[in-house]
Amino acid sequence: MKTNEKKKYTRRSLLLFFCRGNKRWWLVTVLFALGLTIFDLISPKIIEYTVDSVIGDKEGNIPAFLNAWIAGIGGRDYLRSHFYLVAAAIAIVAVLGAVMRYAFRLTDQIAAEKLTERTRNTLFSHISHLPFSWFSENHTGDIIQRCTSDVENIRMFLSEQLVQLFQTILLIGLSIYFMLGIQVPLALVSAAFIPIVMAASIAFHGFIAPSFMKADEMEGELSSIVQENLTGVRVVRAFGRERYEKDRFEKKNAAYTAHWIRLMGKMSAFWVSGNAISTVKTLVVVALGTYFCVHGSLTPGGFIAFISYNALLSQPVRNVGRIITQMSRTGIAIDRLCYVMNAEEENDNNKALTPPMDRSITFDHVAFSYENGNEEVLHDVSFTIPAGKTVGILGGTGSGKSTLMYLLDRLYELPEDQGSIEIGGVNVRDIDRTYLRKNIGIVLQEPYLFSRTLAENISIADEDADMDAVREASNIASLDEAVRRFSKGYETYVGERGVTLSGGQKQRAAIAQMLVKKPPVMIFDDSLSAVDAETDAKIREALKDKLSAATVILIAHRITTLMEADEIIVLSNGRVAEQGTHEELLKKNGIYRKVYDMQTAGLSAGEKTA
Amino acid sequence: MRKNGASEKKNNEKTLHFFGLKELLPFLRPYRGRLIAMIILGIVTSVFDTVYPLLNSYALDHFITPGTLKGLSGFILIYILVALLQAADDYFTMYSCGKIEMDMDRDLRRASFNHLQTLSFSYFNQNNVGYIHSRVMSDTSKIGELVAWRMMDFVWNASYLIFVLVTMLVMNARLALPVILMMPVAAVIIFLFQKKLLRLNRQVRELNSKITGDFNEGITGVRSVKTLVIEDLMQKDFEKDTKEYRRTAVRTGHNSALFTSLVTMISSLGLAVVLWRGGLITMEGALKLGELSVFMSYAVGMMEPMEFLIATISALLAIQVNIERFMKLVHEESDVADTPEVVEKYGDNFHAKKENWEPLQGDVEFKDVSFRYPDGDEMVLEHFNLKVPKGTNVAIVGETGAGKSTLVNLVCRFYEPTEGQVLIDGRDARERSQLWLHSNIGYVLQTPHLFSGTVRDNLRYGKEDATDEEIWAALKLVSADGVVKKLEKGLDADVGEGGDLLSTGEKQLLSFARAILADPRLLVLDEATSSIDTMTEKAIQDAIATVIKGRTSFIIAHRLSTVVDSDIILAVKDGRIVEQGTHAELMGRRGYYHELYTRQFTEEM
Repeated sequence: MKTNEKKKYTRRSLLLFFCRGNKRWWLVTVLFALGLTIFDLISPKIIEYTVDSVIGDKEGNIPAFLNAWIAGIGGRDYLRSHFYLVAAAIAIVAVLGAVMRYAFRLTDQIAAEKLTERTRNTLFSHISHLPFSWFSENHTGDIIQRCTSDVENIRMFLSEQLVQLFQTILLIGLSIYFMLGIQVPLALVSAAFIPIVMAASIAFHGFIAPSFMKADEMEGELSSIVQENLTGVRVVRAFGRERYEKDRFEKKNAAYTAHWIRLMGKMSAFWVSGNAISTVKTLVVVALGTYFCVHGSLTPGGFIAFISYNALLSQPVRNVGRIITQMSRTGIAIDRLCYVMNAEEENDNNKALTPPMDRSITFDHVAFSYENGNEEVLHDVSFTIPAGKTVGILGGTGSGKSTLMYLLDRLYELPEDQGSIEIGGVNVRDIDRTYLRKNIGIVLQEPYLFSRTLAENISIADEDADMDAVREASNIASLDEAVRRFSKGYETYVGERGVTLSGGQKQRAAIAQMLVKKPPVMIFDDSLSAVDAETDAKIREALKDKLSAATVILIAHRITTLMEADEIIVLSNGRVAEQGTHEELLKKNGIYRKVYDMQTAGLSAGEKTA
Repeated sequence: MRKNGASEKKNNEKTLHFFGLKELLPFLRPYRGRLIAMIILGIVTSVFDTVYPLLNSYALDHFITPGTLKGLSGFILIYILVALLQAADDYFTMYSCGKIEMDMDRDLRRASFNHLQTLSFSYFNQNNVGYIHSRVMSDTSKIGELVAWRMMDFVWNASYLIFVLVTMLVMNARLALPVILMMPVAAVIIFLFQKKLLRLNRQVRELNSKITGDFNEGITGVRSVKTLVIEDLMQKDFEKDTKEYRRTAVRTGHNSALFTSLVTMISSLGLAVVLWRGGLITMEGALKLGELSVFMSYAVGMMEPMEFLIATISALLAIQVNIERFMKLVHEESDVADTPEVVEKYGDNFHAKKENWEPLQGDVEFKDVSFRYPDGDEMVLEHFNLKVPKGTNVAIVGETGAGKSTLVNLVCRFYEPTEGQVLIDGRDARERSQLWLHSNIGYVLQTPHLFSGTVRDNLRYGKEDATDEEIWAALKLVSADGVVKKLEKGLDADVGEGGDLLSTGEKQLLSFARAILADPRLLVLDEATSSIDTMTEKAIQDAIATVIKGRTSFIIAHRLSTVVDSDIILAVKDGRIVEQGTHAELMGRRGYYHELYTRQFTEEM
């Protein structure tokens, strides 16, 4: 999946893409549907024969070879004395029909589920390879909805609506064929009703669809009033506006109810008129059938068979309108998935490099602005981090320090004319993305824990890591103490559906996560902010030995965290404002000095009062 | 509280036998007449369904067999008459059923929504929005559907089966017997399968929500996924889930396919038996051809009503949960409630008796207050005393999640002290109604919450009867008039759901205007942490400075400037107040406040 498929999907090609590999299942399903329909239609035929030629004494209206065969075994008299044979014929047809029905529904389900699985897997993989910027441009809820309900919509379209429609067409065709075999005029009259009922059904569903959409819309409005009331409960209470909310809700509540009741009225009318057409049809069949019977052009058995065929047809034909209306919504779902599938995945150069990563890192005249923002976040930033050294970065909110790290890790791509970032002289743009990220460890300020155990989270980036490695890393990150407090220790389930860790615990877990991996470049992106000063110092002390060989970038607000770095860079509004060692910067009397004084001023004042 | 819960449980046990319908009685009562009418209509419908095969058989036995058309026109007339009557009956049945459903839905939604307006904050903290939302919107509609359609299904199908059985017995008891014997067999099969399918379907739903969760994790955790380069691992795990889902779904499909095939097969086998026994009886001459055809129609047509009947019973069992959850919400008691005496004098949450309201001056005092959150087991305040005289500015500082809102919650009486008193103008807050207090407080939230509607609607939230002049004055005071003037429709502009059509900064400014519209003596401010552009930031800072002047204010502060000038600063850590004093005092103490303050300074340089 990593290869970048450049092709854009259209409605049709996306649908075909998802169906790929499933064609055999659909074909089998269709064959079973055919078999099933035929068996369903044979029973009335057997009854016709029984009534006319076994109970009655007319010539059997069945294919000649069957007549010959029956005559061979002893004809009508034989069947009359072995009457159970007739029942056995129905039973056999019933069993075969059941087998077909089972096979049809099962294969249909298998095909549908295979499609769903494939679609979901493709989407998940595609989404995790989309560039980071795509996620800030699209709402999480919206993406999830596309991946869930829209996929469901397409599944329904293929495995239910299309299949039902196909089945209905088969049923109509075959039953007309069978009816024509019994008596032509009555068959034509019965067939004539089918387009009428179908047209009425399609017209009605087309007519009622806007009402349903309006109902959905009104439900949405009502639902969002509840939602707003619940999320804004503080405001409602604080302003004492319970009465207002009550009235506002009631107004929508009543309107929504009234709309539905009107809709129910229309639905009932449709239902009843559908019933009425069916009844008229049955009446015409019964009356004409009676007339034909009395005049001898139709047998009583044929009469019974006609009534059965008409009963079999009535419901599926009436459903056609509903199916077609539902199908028309699928187009929207496919478009919504096209949008996701057509977003371009992250891509590498054709000849991506994997150079050694324990080299110096150079930012050279880097400038950057986010696509959705018009302000430049970084302006002309240049500095070098020598291999194996530690660089501290101090900067306020919005100074661009995190952006620098994202550019280094290629979460965002630096445009070609906006300077360059190089590791050992190789532009990061030319380095294999996976290789680059595997070799750069970043501890985020707000790390994300996945829904798994704590141990699994810590070793997530290195599948070979054993429990000892996890324990060791946790010790260094000062997480062990917290772990001991959980009754299940490292087996504690965390993330969305598990125990919620505090911000500090999460940060420490993320540090342990990185230490397990031991990448040559380590970045701490303000990742000790939620940890108190004491623990911060403890962790740094423990880290010292571990980090000696690595190139470290340390972003922090505490001077005590930064002061031991080999070099400190002060970023302000996207520019390098100051650069040097702790001592050098103190002498400069600039921002760094100011911050230092601030952070220590209290100390001395405190000492004075103490 | 506990005692209450126990008695509620007992109640539930008692009513379990009535499928929880007894608890619903108050909601059913208004529709008693219509429900009875609906049941009668349903029974009539099943009579019609029973009659049609009889009409067809009449044609066979009276015209076709004797070979005469005499009386056919009369027959057609009767047929049409029956059809018309049935159409009318169908229409009224369906319409009344739908109407009862919708009316019930509305009543249940109204009852739950209105009750929610009286519940205290502890309820909202213990139950998340999604959970409560589905009580109001989804449980109610499930209950409404049950009462209307499921009840209808039950009546209709049960009476249909009874009519069919009686007709068969009357026609020919000997032939009816095998059909009747078939019924319990079918019932057992249907029941067993439905039980199994119910369980499997639940599994499928659970797996489905797991997959939704996976998507959510993959999307919200995308930054970690990318920096850790664990795309392949995540994909592997995801594919494990989708595979399991497919397997379970296919197993469910297998069972449901088996179920449908079996049920159809049984009805066909019933048909075979009827044809066999009935054919023999007909050949003997003891049964007419038309009667045989009636029996055949019934044998085929009986399975569906049986299926529906059993499905209805399963639905009744399944709906228990919804009824219980709904009832729990409606019977939930508020932790903070006004006494009957207070309601008598000051009015309740919905109806104010403004004529008895005293003006609020703005003196606040915590007197020996101890407090524990209803869902917590630790005291977060112990014997806390603090006098906040009229016009004093109090700043509360501390890290995110440290519990800075506790004091504010007590002042606003969102919670009540476990021990001790909060005095407002020297009187216990509980001596006056919540609505009185809340109508006198201005409140600005950290994340500005606007409601869908126009700008005017939202601002009037602060003062119901505010004139446009008053609104503009309030807007000017906090320099938010520019925001509104920029909008094409001004005060009539739509703000979108949750105010989404405006920027965060704009929402913030409007929420300031909303808070001071009623010129409250007491102001509660929860400062925003989210970064907004510098110009708006400045405007908001100025707005704060303006509005707290001369008012008693409690500010949950994140900004240095606000903190420094405050009369009293309270530093909160791990839910407790650890330091208290002015800026100078606390800086000198070099403790927690000092650390917070210096960190802030660095961030804002």
